[in-house]
Amino acid sequence: MKKLYFIALLLTSSLVYSQGTISGTVFDGETGETIINATVQVLGTSKGAVTDFDGNFSFKLKSDTYDLKISFISYETILVKKVFVANNETTILEEIKIDQKSEEMAVFTVVGEQVRNTEGALDIIKMNDVKMLDGITSDKIKLTGDGTAGEAAKRITGVSVDGGKYIYVRGLGDRYTKTTLNGVSIPGLDPDRNSLQMDIFPSNLISNIIVSKNFTADLSPDFAGGAINIETTAFPDKKVFDVSFGMSYNPQMHFNNEFLSYEGGNTDFLGFDNGTRSLPTNANSNNIPTPISGASKEEVYDFVTSFDKELGAKQQTSLTDYSLALTFGNQFDLKNQKSKRISYIMSASYKSEYKFYDNVTYGEYQKSLESSDTELKYATVQNGQIGERQFLIGLLGGIAYKTNEDQLKFTAMHLQNAEKRAAQFNIDNNGEAVGQSGYIASSDNLEFNQRGLTNFLLEGEHIREKSNWEINWKLSPTFSSSEDPDIRKTAFTNAPLDTFFSAGAGGNPTRIWRNLNEMNLAAKVDLTKKYSFREKEGKLKFGFSEIYKSRDYEILFFDVQFFGGQNWTNSNPNKVLDQENLYTQGGNNIYFQSGNKNPNPNSYESSVNNIGLYVSNEYMLSKKLNTIVGLRAENYVQRHTGRDQLYASGDEFNGTNLEDEKVLESFDLFPSVNLIYKVKEKQNLRFSYGRTIARPSFKELSFAQILDPISNRIFNGSLFKYADWDGNLQETRIDNLDVRWELYKKVGQMISVSGFYKFFDKPIELVRIPEQQTSTEYQPRNVGDGMVLGLEFEFKTNIEMISSEKNIFSLSGNLILVNSQITMTDAEYNSRNGYIKKGESITNKRQMAGQSPFVVNCGIMFTNKESEIQSGLFYNVKGPTLYIVGAGLFPDIYTDPFHSLNFSINKKIGKDKRTKIDFKVSNLLGDNNYNYYSSFEAENQPYSEFNIGRTVSVGVSHKF
Amino acid sequence: MKLIHLTIATAILALTVSSCKKDEPITPTPTPETGNIVVTSNVTVNTTWTNDNIYQLGGRITVTNGITLTIEAGTVIKGEAGTGANATALLVARGGKLMANGTATLPIVFTSVADEITSADLVAGNFGSPNLASDVDGLWGGIIVLGKAPISASNSGSDLAQVQIEGIPTSDANGLYGGTDATDNSGSITYVSIRHGGTNIGSGNEINGLTLGGVGSGTTVENIEIVANQDDGIEWFGGTVNVTNVVSWNCNDDALDTDQAWAGTLDNFVVISPAGHCFELDGPEGTMTATHTIKNGTVIASDGTRNAQDLINVDANSMVNLTNIHITGIQTGQQVNRVTASGVVFSGITMDVLSADLASHVNGTVPAGITVGGSTSPQADLTRFSWTWAAEAGKL
Repeated sequence: MKKLYFIALLLTSSLVYSQGTISGTVFDGETGETIINATVQVLGTSKGAVTDFDGNFSFKLKSDTYDLKISFISYETILVKKVFVANNETTILEEIKIDQKSEEMAVFTVVGEQVRNTEGALDIIKMNDVKMLDGITSDKIKLTGDGTAGEAAKRITGVSVDGGKYIYVRGLGDRYTKTTLNGVSIPGLDPDRNSLQMDIFPSNLISNIIVSKNFTADLSPDFAGGAINIETTAFPDKKVFDVSFGMSYNPQMHFNNEFLSYEGGNTDFLGFDNGTRSLPTNANSNNIPTPISGASKEEVYDFVTSFDKELGAKQQTSLTDYSLALTFGNQFDLKNQKSKRISYIMSASYKSEYKFYDNVTYGEYQKSLESSDTELKYATVQNGQIGERQFLIGLLGGIAYKTNEDQLKFTAMHLQNAEKRAAQFNIDNNGEAVGQSGYIASSDNLEFNQRGLTNFLLEGEHIREKSNWEINWKLSPTFSSSEDPDIRKTAFTNAPLDTFFSAGAGGNPTRIWRNLNEMNLAAKVDLTKKYSFREKEGKLKFGFSEIYKSRDYEILFFDVQFFGGQNWTNSNPNKVLDQENLYTQGGNNIYFQSGNKNPNPNSYESSVNNIGLYVSNEYMLSKKLNTIVGLRAENYVQRHTGRDQLYASGDEFNGTNLEDEKVLESFDLFPSVNLIYKVKEKQNLRFSYGRTIARPSFKELSFAQILDPISNRIFNGSLFKYADWDGNLQETRIDNLDVRWELYKKVGQMISVSGFYKFFDKPIELVRIPEQQTSTEYQPRNVGDGMVLGLEFEFKTNIEMISSEKNIFSLSGNLILVNSQITMTDAEYNSRNGYIKKGESITNKRQMAGQSPFVVNCGIMFTNKESEIQSGLFYNVKGPTLYIVGAGLFPDIYTDPFHSLNFSINKKIGKDKRTKIDFKVSNLLGDNNYNYYSSFEAENQPYSEFNIGRTVSVGVSHKF
Repeated sequence: MKLIHLTIATAILALTVSSCKKDEPITPTPTPETGNIVVTSNVTVNTTWTNDNIYQLGGRITVTNGITLTIEAGTVIKGEAGTGANATALLVARGGKLMANGTATLPIVFTSVADEITSADLVAGNFGSPNLASDVDGLWGGIIVLGKAPISASNSGSDLAQVQIEGIPTSDANGLYGGTDATDNSGSITYVSIRHGGTNIGSGNEINGLTLGGVGSGTTVENIEIVANQDDGIEWFGGTVNVTNVVSWNCNDDALDTDQAWAGTLDNFVVISPAGHCFELDGPEGTMTATHTIKNGTVIASDGTRNAQDLINVDANSMVNLTNIHITGIQTGQQVNRVTASGVVFSGITMDVLSADLASHVNGTVPAGITVGGSTSPQADLTRFSWTWAAEAGKL
């Protein structure tokens, strides 16, 4: 059954001749694919057009009322009556569908590109794609008012977002989520995570975000929860010139004179440091000038003064958040060649934000040693305020060349982001806790993180209708960097009689430079051949992909040292590096000592070469049963250059040094079977099996030892052998089984129920090292086998009872319930048993880390077409999730559900309804971000807690 | 003379480099610049360091399981500069032995490369640093001795009877200590002065002058001096070793620190002006409990410029007998904390304050074992410390 769908955007321009432009898109009602060469006629005139490669058409008309006729071979003709084209009005026509002609026509395959930026179109894609998809489109993002991809993604069924950055699909942690940009792999920006930071994508650059929840052979197999693809703004088929401006106000964060910041550099607002925080010259040398390095007094003094003197946070008044965005694009025909078109797009956005958390807590807690005492005991509690400035710049430019058979696109994008943070904490260390000596300290922390991502994408699409071939290829290099120049922590230890710096208590002042550079080169080609076999349609798809990525990472750190005793009359951190405190200038004799060996054990280079080949066949076994069977083969080689501490300190015999050595090599086959049974019209029953993989990250397969100076927690690369860990980290192979029943009703209304089961062969988890009790150290290790069993439910419906033609109320929601289980290693089981409390029973099974037991998303929306008002109330929550696995003395850490309730409303105003005003209130319930320690019958205690308050945002956008 | 020395050194260096093979350890060679023998590899064959050389620790040097490192009396060992996980230190792993036996006339000195002291100074009876002040700390790490004696670590109810020693990151499994051999022997350490160490690792994570983790009673530790350690002077983590004749002077954190149910005795000691606690005495962390004894000591809580944070600090579950300790140099605000801990027994603790002020230096009711006392009170036998820098500097 073939149906045409038609979306027409009626544009009226304010030309003096009272002319307007009608443009729209025609697509197949069944597949969602756009239709090329469909005829659009304006009845009663000689005007007409043929749809282009993207199914688009447009023509100019005088202001009047018209009937449109849209026809295409083998499809029922659509008649759209009384389309009013006027000067001062913009009308969006509803999607219209018609049935297929009753008589059979010659088989004609419809090819083209899918429309993906409206929710209605997305439903059609979901219904017809061989994958089980969910997603969000720019249409809905405009309604919810979400500012970044991270905020928008959490609306997607089964998706939750951690910290506004990291995506969890079906509650599975970011390790099991793969993110691509326009279908190609890009590097992550966080050295500590496997997945991409989603907050760096401003929503005005996004056309849609689509999640594939099951595997087909044409996808990269390195995911289990979902493969997420962010598609950037589509090329326009008409002139687009949009400008928007927004502001937000949060009473806790803005116009607050206690906001914390520091000087920094004068280009901070552009998302990068101007060199103020650069590593001083000589600091990277083997023998930095110190009193004991053989350097002269003057050299030591000069070296100390080459470091920025600013160590303290200072209060200043914060302003409000604001954002600006601009998009400009057009399409034009090449001279005299109607079928050859060029379109281009340019988009820029800027966002500046102030975040102020006036009551932040970081805690380290321990179990009691007594089996009868269930309460948790604190080791260290830090309490204070954090002021943060965020700057985000997004730039995108693209150009496309289209004919009816070929399309070439080139897109370039750069994202630049900076987070500038200043914090003050009071630190209380409990001498009664295990491994702690007890002290009180007050610290000032200054941080700056800058991230940059530059992506180029060259892609081609070639369709040969006669031979039924389609070729797609992509070439995409991406360069990214994440730098933390000059992180400073200065903590005075406050003893009853003295205030001073104590290595064994609050620590000496420390400064850290971290540098990460990553490059990704991705290439892929997909070939599709449509065929007919025994009068049934089929599609054979095969292709090749290669990804080469490399990363280099380095951490350098320097400690303040005192050559002799200390005497502080002024404990202002900004006075610490005053001249009278420096080496040989006075009592405190400050100099900098290097924590960096040469070669640096905290520096590594890694690379991956990943080659994939696949073949996949789609065939309609019967009119109702579609089968997609595929096999993908991948060869994966990971290399590492790095060394352990022992080697770095000169022990070439017992130490280990790797020079571009293979640390992981695997050849894997990834089979997949997908069955789609069409129970009825618009009702599918799907079944899918696929084998996928989760590979260790660069950082995980390294000798890196990364100290977070603020929380004082240490990450150890897995290559270190330790206690019962053999230093041999393995990839995780995952078997995925999925079923889904789905029913699509009218446009924008659907219901689906899915079930899934996943088996993980020795998954990797970040394990707290129980043998280390003084500091908090983690190492990624393979743990026991895991499994996940889940149920997913989604619906979108209009509330007919209270809706009318003008006022439409609709309700949408999704719910996911997951039961996950990990078999503990013996070491973990024993270490838990060693702390068993009276009345507690411990088995060797537990919830998987990062796996939320449930995720709920729902929203109620209201649309009034006449007054052009759209409004929505959206709720999102994720169940308590095991965040970090505890061990022995250390309890498990959970993430508390964050009840996010947002309200948004927008209205179009002005003569042409070209101006839109948005109003939004975020976190209506005023919930806090809270991670906590949990133990048998114990009161929960904070691991991290901060309040974010409520935010009111207002935005204006205008289309020229 | 110097030139000949240099030529020989260069020749040896050239020889060693050319004969370097992966399966045998490098023979330490003097560096041309200083004449020091730079040690960069773990000690994995029985080795003797002789007093005609100065040994320079180029990293965290570990005496591995089954191996003995012997250090002759009168030898000077100097740690290179470094901070964080890269701090230089001498680590004696479980099963390894350190035989560092100095004498009262020829002690062994562990110090920083910045210290110009030589064996000749020791022979001449000049035990203090010729160029570094006695409060310069944090220039290198320290000495860490680990053994197989029982510890009361927090996982001892299960198979985790071993834990990682403070100051050594878990990337180095030689940092594990603890076991079941109460009479374990980690060697003999006598007449050793450890100076200017304790470099910063991270807040609350530190290297002590002398760390004794799970060290067994078969080990001899006598006549030890710690000067200007940036962290604690001596810290015990469980174990059964007995220690006699100790001076802990100018440490930037605690002078003496016990954890994890150390089951030994410290007899005859002097504590001078630490910046942290004079005594930081913690209780058992696991199910195993044991009491240790600290007796016959003198504590100078302040030398006028450096003030201890407090006098004696115990936890509620601490188990320790404190006997015959005289505390002097007490400043307003310095206190004995938590006198209610049932496992802590005070006897013969005398405080050099006015009777009226005694209560203000005890946090809680003054126990019977704590009284006011003058210089005639029972205290350390100072005659044992003639070989120390502290004695030479007139600090005792």
